[in-house]
Amino acid sequence: MTHSGTVFDIGYQRYTGPREGRNRARLAVFKDGVRTALGLGRGARAKVLPWFFIAVLGSIALVMALIAGAMDRLVGPEAADQLNLPSHTDYYGIASILFFVFAAVGAPELLCPDRREGVINLYLVRPLAGSDYVMSRWLAFFTVMLAVTWFPQAILLIGLTMGDPDPAAYLIANWLDIPRFLAAGAAFAAYTTSLALLTASFTTRRAYASVFLVGLFVITTPFTTGLASEIEGPAGQWISMFNLTNIPVHVNDVIFGEASVITRDAPAAAFSAPVLVGWYAAWTLVPAGILWFRYRRLTP
Amino acid sequence: MMPPVEPLLAAENLTKHYKDVVALNDVSFNISDGITGLLGENGAGKSTAIKIFLGLIQPTFGSASILGQNASSSVGVRARLGYMPEHDCLPSHVTAAEFLTHMAEVSGLPPSTARTRAADTLRHTGLFEERYRAMGGYSTGMKQRVKLGQALVHDPAIVFLDEPTAGLDPVGREEMLALVRKTHREFGISVLFSSHLMVDVERTCDRILVLQRGRLVQSGEVGHFTKETETVFIEVDANRDGLVRALEKRGVVVTADGGGLTIEGPDESVYDHVRDALVEARAPLRRMAPRRRALTELFQRDGDETHVGAST
Repeated sequence: MTHSGTVFDIGYQRYTGPREGRNRARLAVFKDGVRTALGLGRGARAKVLPWFFIAVLGSIALVMALIAGAMDRLVGPEAADQLNLPSHTDYYGIASILFFVFAAVGAPELLCPDRREGVINLYLVRPLAGSDYVMSRWLAFFTVMLAVTWFPQAILLIGLTMGDPDPAAYLIANWLDIPRFLAAGAAFAAYTTSLALLTASFTTRRAYASVFLVGLFVITTPFTTGLASEIEGPAGQWISMFNLTNIPVHVNDVIFGEASVITRDAPAAAFSAPVLVGWYAAWTLVPAGILWFRYRRLTP
Repeated sequence: MMPPVEPLLAAENLTKHYKDVVALNDVSFNISDGITGLLGENGAGKSTAIKIFLGLIQPTFGSASILGQNASSSVGVRARLGYMPEHDCLPSHVTAAEFLTHMAEVSGLPPSTARTRAADTLRHTGLFEERYRAMGGYSTGMKQRVKLGQALVHDPAIVFLDEPTAGLDPVGREEMLALVRKTHREFGISVLFSSHLMVDVERTCDRILVLQRGRLVQSGEVGHFTKETETVFIEVDANRDGLVRALEKRGVVVTADGGGLTIEGPDESVYDHVRDALVEARAPLRRMAPRRRALTELFQRDGDETHVGAST
């Protein structure tokens, strides 16, 4: 039996339901930011770069876990411990440049097109202030960065646990690594998000922002490392502090209570924990503040 | 006795200075339900007035209220406003359906409602079939429809349309003007229609406000202005000068118009005067017909102070 029906044009319907105001608007911009950063709901081209980086970052963690597991089996757990293989402490330092490139490529996507294509004009005439908009975008990219930093550490944790002859004992002995890598990942995410979005706020061209950011991270590293090694004393230490890729790694070291393979020999590592954390906070909060201030005053 | 109806928009001594430039100068008006045309040349202050009402900039002096609330201090009231900008504002890689859904959510609608209203709005604006195509491939007319759609998707109380016919061909322009009329007459949404095209405003709006160099120089019902533009055109085969004298003797003001005569803003008695003057001057009547001039001519006639460009 077939059913037939008629579609009636009931005309325009006034909306009498709830209007959820600023919070709904903030949430909508946040969700859109997450989708944009990951290329969700977009064409295949938009997905290539973010998912490529996520795959590479996950692969590094997987390789580290496989090597640790293989060593456990080849030389035994105790001998493997003596080898001091890279672990949770070292992961962010090893992969830091990839996190920065991911941020450099992904963050401008959240701000530049809205200004370039004029969509920002439509946001600002809705129940959403400029500061709401940029805060939502910041939180969106921060959330993506959190996922991107935590995901490989989770793979590493699973790999190390499963690779150990006694997984339960391994977890009991190393459970503190979990809150540590979560906190260090959050520190990484906040730092990269603030710097990358601030840079993106100065141009409507994604490519300019990305190239500038990659240059900033990639060029400052050898430059400050080389200069710091030539200059002894506090001056060298402070030059080393301007190695932008190492700033959140020092915080990672403070959180884990030991230096990672990347920062172990950096002159800046000699600074006390409050100095290192304060320096990191300045490099995170000041860019975030400038970003907020720029968008607070923005009008179409 | 009926309580007084609160205006949708109210400007009181609205003034805006940009350093030495006076964009708006002591402008006061009220706008209530209907389609109101905001007319003026580029730089007349139309966009400044709209930005103040949208709460995007602060007036230097005076106040602007919208739906009874101070425009510059209430972000929440924008949930009941719609805005269609003149310039491009559409992301090229997103479909119209996705974009309108997102804009409805940003206006405060729950996600499921936003999806339904986006589809409905695209149907009403004539883009239902094209809603899943990326907007980068749309024609100018289709983009204008999406821009109108995003302004209507959350069912605002009033919508600001900034030059909605800009860049459209004649057919597209007709369709857009029909949509603007439909927005009020069928959807019940009031419209503030900003344009420098007097013809568009005349054909679409109930009321007009004319801005010139930041000042409000004319305002009122379109019907009032169209009454002022009514004329009677008379053509005679001979003794046109005698007819002019006979009409002027009866207090009728006439102007030469090519080979004929034009009488401005005729009332009912003018036809009796014309009949009597024709008899007195023995002027054989060839043609007599009512005519209407465009509003353009009215403002041009009133001199530079009220002249508004009438390019089409």
